Amino acid sequence: MKHKFRENLVGYLFISPWLIGFLVFTLYPFCRSFYLSLTRYNIIQEPHFIGLANYKMMLFEDELFWKSLWVTIRYALVSVPIVLVVGVLLALLLNINVKGIAVFRTIFYLPSIVPMVATTSIFMWILNPQVGLVNRVLALFHIDGPGWLTDPKWTLWSLVFMAIWGAGGSMVIYLAGLKDIPQYLYEAATLDGAGVIKKTRMITLPMLTPVIFFNLVMGVIGTFQYFTQAFMISKGSGGPEDSTLFYALYMFQRSWKYMDMGYGSAMAWALFVIIVILTSIIFQSQKRWVHYGG
Amino acid sequence: MAANPTFDREKSSKAIVVRSFLAVLAIAATWFLMSAKMPDANIPGRTKVVFWHRWGGEWEVVVKRIVSRFNESQTEFEVVPMFTTGTGSETKFMLSTIGGDPPDVMSMWNGAIPSIASGGLLTDLETLMSPEEKEYFNRVPYQAIRESGQFKDVTYGITIGADLMGYYVNAKHLREIGADPDKPPKTFEELVELGTKLNIKDSSGNIKRMGFNVSDLMTQAYAWGPGFYDKESKTLTMNNPSNLAALTALVEQKKGVGFDQAQRFWASQNTGSSTGAWPFIPGAVSIAYDGQWRVEEIRKYNPGMDYRVWPLIPPKDGKPYAGSLGGNFMIIPTSAKQKKGAFEFVKFWSGLTHPERAAEFYCWGGWLPLSPDVAKSPKYQEYLRTNPQFKTFVDTLGGNNCHPYPNVGFLQYYLDQVNRAEDQASRGSITPKQALINLDQTVKHELRKRKELGFED
Repeated sequence: MKHKFRENLVGYLFISPWLIGFLVFTLYPFCRSFYLSLTRYNIIQEPHFIGLANYKMMLFEDELFWKSLWVTIRYALVSVPIVLVVGVLLALLLNINVKGIAVFRTIFYLPSIVPMVATTSIFMWILNPQVGLVNRVLALFHIDGPGWLTDPKWTLWSLVFMAIWGAGGSMVIYLAGLKDIPQYLYEAATLDGAGVIKKTRMITLPMLTPVIFFNLVMGVIGTFQYFTQAFMISKGSGGPEDSTLFYALYMFQRSWKYMDMGYGSAMAWALFVIIVILTSIIFQSQKRWVHYGG
Repeated sequence: MAANPTFDREKSSKAIVVRSFLAVLAIAATWFLMSAKMPDANIPGRTKVVFWHRWGGEWEVVVKRIVSRFNESQTEFEVVPMFTTGTGSETKFMLSTIGGDPPDVMSMWNGAIPSIASGGLLTDLETLMSPEEKEYFNRVPYQAIRESGQFKDVTYGITIGADLMGYYVNAKHLREIGADPDKPPKTFEELVELGTKLNIKDSSGNIKRMGFNVSDLMTQAYAWGPGFYDKESKTLTMNNPSNLAALTALVEQKKGVGFDQAQRFWASQNTGSSTGAWPFIPGAVSIAYDGQWRVEEIRKYNPGMDYRVWPLIPPKDGKPYAGSLGGNFMIIPTSAKQKKGAFEFVKFWSGLTHPERAAEFYCWGGWLPLSPDVAKSPKYQEYLRTNPQFKTFVDTLGGNNCHPYPNVGFLQYYLDQVNRAEDQASRGSITPKQALINLDQTVKHELRKRKELGFED
């Protein structure tokens, strides 16, 4: 028994960097943040226990909490399906065997490895209302382009546009999923006289649903943590007129700008609960539309 | 019982593995901790004073020159400067202080002082002054500058480079429309009218040259009345007639230019640039609202430019030479290891002692002086003769309508909410009246909430 323990100890020592990292940088902050959400804490002074006051204020008295939640939900409702569809379509296109397909795949994948800050900076110029590429092109057709990032009516669509540009990341996963579909299914369908559209509808998409499911879950989680782009285009304010005040941005403002770490922690826990609920709903729904096994 | 040589070998090789692993871990941890420490002193025998500042690029050169001057003047201390980016600098300061490794002295945006001071992290600088220095400090420096470094009447910051805003006027553009750049408009309404004449638009209605377009309700409101904070009663004043008049004037001015067109124009300009790309220098803006540091930039990047600086123009019966004072103030954490050396450096740079010597530093950076003593010194007067436009800012500083930021612990929140109200009214989403009502309700609600939670604001 003692010998076994010693043997295990060597193993534990080797994985200890990860274990220590997990305990110190994940589990402890996770538990600590829950305690902090029940306190008044401005980083400088010791946390002071105030019970559920932060949660009460967040849910019943903070207009911006609900506003930021709505901005995030609205973006998720629009961007997640669009990016999903674009990713699948790109993967289908890039699954065709034509000359130089590897180059096309690389080109479509490249945007997703560009750092988010660089992508956002580029888009801030592309979408510049006066000198931006998009409005210059629209002007050729005598269309007066809007203030993409300065008009609250257009900011959501600009951010969706940016998200589509990065759809290459999910495209690669769909492509891997497509490669996994057994060839004999298509051969059997061809013998039965099925055309391209029918094969796509009856074989490709159903067989791809596990990958779509994975990207859907990750997409929803990702949009609820949406921060960098909103921070950059609004310079951290969430403007114009709170149209980019995403949940994570507002949480950052409360925690670091206004030094209310207790309230920020309460918001983080609310976000955790929201993500758990949404993910559970998606997991529950998979019985109806996700097909495993070929 | 006989020993098992195979088992012993296994045991000893395991022990070697475990020990090697622990040794590697210890070396890695030591290296990590060593690499994270503060910069070292370079001069043997001197006590190191760590100084964090927020000036990058060409401004850092000026900072290093001043630090060198201080080090040359010393036999006891050596100041070691370290640049920390402005964004989130107060957070960095707080975390370093809480973590037990703070700088000895830091130049900080004065708006951050109340929130840091309310947490008890800052040294009352008057406790480091001799009785003579204390008397001098409370008598001579400009009132707005002195108060800008205070929270609840305690001095936590001393300026080394205060900032004020004014109007930069392109003299050539004004002459083109028959206006005299040496005769500023008497009222804000006249200024708006002048700006309208200076606008140039293309056939699609896009602004090619901006005549005049201004925001910043918090500062502008001081030209209309008491602004957003009553110093005497120490209360926030948001929804009052003078603030409403100020907001209405700003909104109307933006309507005149065209809010959407103005947004498009500003989005295409590099407004934050601290180089020759600032839109006033190439002539993209005729009357620009900006800070005194631009005088130095114009001198560097377009020395021949014919321009004037006007103070804030009040409305009829308003308050002339109004201003809201911001800028860099020296703070010393309560847990600083070298408070004495840090304060020696603060005195050296600010001009609390030897104002004539400090005048040179203010001239290098194009900064507003701590006191009239610095301003009157020959070097500063020479600077004003060479850069006559800078005088407008010094006059504003010495006037009665120059104010510090509101003295509240949740200043950042307050400033954000005032900006939000201005933005909503400017976009026409709500009326100026409604914007101020909303502002009043939101801020009071937040204040009540913070009081309930026990924040010291």
